[in-house]
Amino acid sequence: MEAVINDYISRELVQDPTLLPLGNATPLLETGVLDSLSLLRLMLFVQEHFGIEVDDVDLVPENFASVDAICAYLRSRAGGRAGQAGAHG
Amino acid sequence: MGEAATKAAGFAHRWRLGSADWPGTVPAGQLLRRTEGLAYWLVVAPLAARLPARFAYRVACWRGDWSFQYWPEKRSEIVRNLRQVLGDELGPEEAERLARDLFRFISCEVIDVMRLRGRASSLGRLVEIRGREHLDAALAGGKGAILCTAHFGSHLSAFSLLHASGFPLTTLGRWWWNYTPGLSSAERRFWDLAYARRVLRHRQRPNIEPFPGRIQVAAQAAAVLRANEVVMICGDAPPLDADRPRTIEVSLLGRKTKLLPGVVTLAQLTGAPVLMAFVHRSADYRRQVLEISPPVPVQDETAMALGRCVAAMDTAIRTRPAHWFFWFETSDLARLGLLPAAPTGTAISPQPAVGEPTVPLEKGEA
Repeated sequence: MEAVINDYISRELVQDPTLLPLGNATPLLETGVLDSLSLLRLMLFVQEHFGIEVDDVDLVPENFASVDAICAYLRSRAGGRAGQAGAHG
Repeated sequence: MGEAATKAAGFAHRWRLGSADWPGTVPAGQLLRRTEGLAYWLVVAPLAARLPARFAYRVACWRGDWSFQYWPEKRSEIVRNLRQVLGDELGPEEAERLARDLFRFISCEVIDVMRLRGRASSLGRLVEIRGREHLDAALAGGKGAILCTAHFGSHLSAFSLLHASGFPLTTLGRWWWNYTPGLSSAERRFWDLAYARRVLRHRQRPNIEPFPGRIQVAAQAAAVLRANEVVMICGDAPPLDADRPRTIEVSLLGRKTKLLPGVVTLAQLTGAPVLMAFVHRSADYRRQVLEISPPVPVQDETAMALGRCVAAMDTAIRTRPAHWFFWFETSDLARLGLLPAAPTGTAISPQPAVGEPTVPLEKGEA
């Protein structure tokens, strides 16, 4: 997951080439890689690629601070959904 | 999404109700204007708005004429701004007339806001909405619609009316008093109660405020569009310094300016159509027309698409210059690149905002 997210952000969202190659721990907000609109792009990509929808309440800087943070959040979302499915199923 | 805002915050510095040095060092003229501004917002306009429209807006015009006459430095600034930007298109007498109209419109807008009470019918009777069919057709597509406008006419009141008439509308932009440094909590509270509360009564959702660091703004706007609702964005706001790397150069009023392409990008990402919408006041000052355009093509190259939106703003401003509120603030025009940058040390409005304080309470600071 980290590789896919990192590749998408590097390819589509990084405007400053000096930030490349992008580390998984590189701060995305402080460096300006992610802003409001690029986050929306990323959300649409994640939804399309992983089938994970990002809740509005989860749109906080902590969840998108770095590639690592994004993946941790997405795993928790996927795990939560699986857990909910199991609980209902 | 800084462009998705409404009016320039410089007004906050210049028209604030009070400051740390108030009233001890405030010149008599400024003090008079502050007092008059407060009285107008709190007493005169609420009462006048209950009169028949022709009387209410006559009062507003008198008040505008008073401000025009007794605020000579601001009057000169507006005339200078108009002539510097529009150049030979405008003679000195015409510039003076436009400046007077701008003062009148500013006072009339307060009456508009006051007439939003209840179901806003007392204002609704005065505003004709043209092009509803374009908005209906856009929403029939199921992807919501983006209304792009400028800081032009009583746009916030007009969009309140649009919502009251059945279109679920949410605005995206900053209220200037929420981020302007140095404002007292009393001042913020005043603007919340006197202005925002009245305008936001007629919105589908709370205003989406793009403060720096609020990364969820575009996603919130996308959620509005996904629900097949309307988002209103002002496309002419001067960009923040932090946003300048993301701006795109476009032509406005015969000059190159740099604006953020958020309207276009949001439309491209969500598939929502963009419609231009401008409200203008008729010669009697009380009747207004809100005109909504057919969709503007935005799915091609971003700069071209933004250029189309700005061209529509350009036409609206050239057709009715006195309706554009940015003439009021030299610093905003400088930030847009329409005038030379202000000298170092001159106050520059830090950000665009959703609610333009279009009422000259007072020129609070030099």
